[in-house]
Amino acid sequence: MEAPPVTTMPVTGGTINMMEYLLQGSILDQGLDSLLHRLRGLCDNMEPETFADHESVYLLKGQQASPFVLRARRPLDRPGSPWHLRYLGQPEAGDRSRHTLVRNCVDIATSEVLPEFLQEMGFRMDHEFIAKGHLFRKGVMKIAVFKVFRVLVAGTAEGAEPLSLSYLVELSVVAPAGQDSIADEVRSFAEQLKPLVQLEKIDPKRLM
Amino acid sequence: MQREEKQLETSLETLIAQVSDIKNSLVAFIHKLENEYERLTWPSVLDNFALLTGQLNTLNKVLKNEKMPLLKNQVIIPLLLSPDRDEEIMRLTEGRVPVFSHEVVPDHLRTKPDPEVEEQEKQLSSEAARITPEVAQKQVQSMNKLCNSLLEKIIKEERDSDVSSLRQNKQTYNPNDTNALVAAVAFGKGLSNRRPPGPGGPMGAGQTGASGMLPGAASMQQMSMPPNQQQHMAGVPMAQGGQPGKMPSSIKTNIKSASMHPYQR
Repeated sequence: MEAPPVTTMPVTGGTINMMEYLLQGSILDQGLDSLLHRLRGLCDNMEPETFADHESVYLLKGQQASPFVLRARRPLDRPGSPWHLRYLGQPEAGDRSRHTLVRNCVDIATSEVLPEFLQEMGFRMDHEFIAKGHLFRKGVMKIAVFKVFRVLVAGTAEGAEPLSLSYLVELSVVAPAGQDSIADEVRSFAEQLKPLVQLEKIDPKRLM
Repeated sequence: MQREEKQLETSLETLIAQVSDIKNSLVAFIHKLENEYERLTWPSVLDNFALLTGQLNTLNKVLKNEKMPLLKNQVIIPLLLSPDRDEEIMRLTEGRVPVFSHEVVPDHLRTKPDPEVEEQEKQLSSEAARITPEVAQKQVQSMNKLCNSLLEKIIKEERDSDVSSLRQNKQTYNPNDTNALVAAVAFGKGLSNRRPPGPGGPMGAGQTGASGMLPGAASMQQMSMPPNQQQHMAGVPMAQGGQPGKMPSSIKTNIKSASMHPYQR
């Protein structure tokens, strides 16, 4: 059967054309406490928030060379909360003058039938992982410090083993396209986390 | 003359207002320290200090103002001393000084330091006068030497702590880990589910097989030898690979051959 026609471009126009400005880095386990301490000082005054998410990445192979990728996330620690479906566009690293990675993104909250729905549409699961960690906010910026776990038994979080001895640190802002001044804001916040964490724009294509 | 007096009066009034402001904040602060020390937070203590600093600064500004007459040149003389209780003085001093007598006036109107302090100062200056200029010079030099070596030590200590903290900080992240984690999150690199056939694995392999190599080969054969029998003969060695996935592919090719037929003949 032929795959349904899908465009690899996200819906543009309206309010959906949002961009994610992203910087990534990592922190070794032994440095985690000092990083959290610093983030508590720098970020908005709020109760420290933790999260534990299970992310499944689905692919749909169409006529195009590159498959269409959707990410489905469900919280493990908050039963009954909605699933989170996310589309991420190709990241653009840009030149040196651009301070962050920029990629298109569409976020939608869904019900728990999402996996079945995607499978019926012809998507198949490519890989999955567990992300457990801490979440901070500073204005529009979001800082997630989390550990990535390898899933051993498909579809369940049990027995997941940590991928490395580091936590991944992601500093991101989702904003309407064209607000490049936000990238400067993100960069200056990243400067404040140095030398604890080196947040950079990392083009994943380089790591393939 | 009258103008100067007026000026003195107004500036004294502002001075009194400033000083009473400072006094009030001091009183409030002391009250807090004495009565609320159990629930007093450090930030609020700092706030109080900041308030006092600000008020002292304003007082200094008032004193240094050009319009402020030289207070040093003003002389205060006690005109009337009395051993009797003075209610007015009581009120003005908030009950601290009940009488304005010869006993308290020397203390309150004193412009010189305390006698003990004066005595100490006198001793020091006489000692300083006794030593010769050469000895003085020597002492200045040794003092400078001490200060310099102390400064050097402090600077060196600072630099060392910087270096050591840098060394420590280098260990807080590992670029390789960053890359591994980013690759894992971005496209599942290193996540075990990717390679071993998961729920979608075998299906995907079958699909690529069916739509990729096999039909192409089959249709090639069909083009060259249309008869069904021969196609089967040729198909057998091909099927030696022995997948059940062969079935759909042969159906597909049959359909294809059917649709091809009219054009071939």
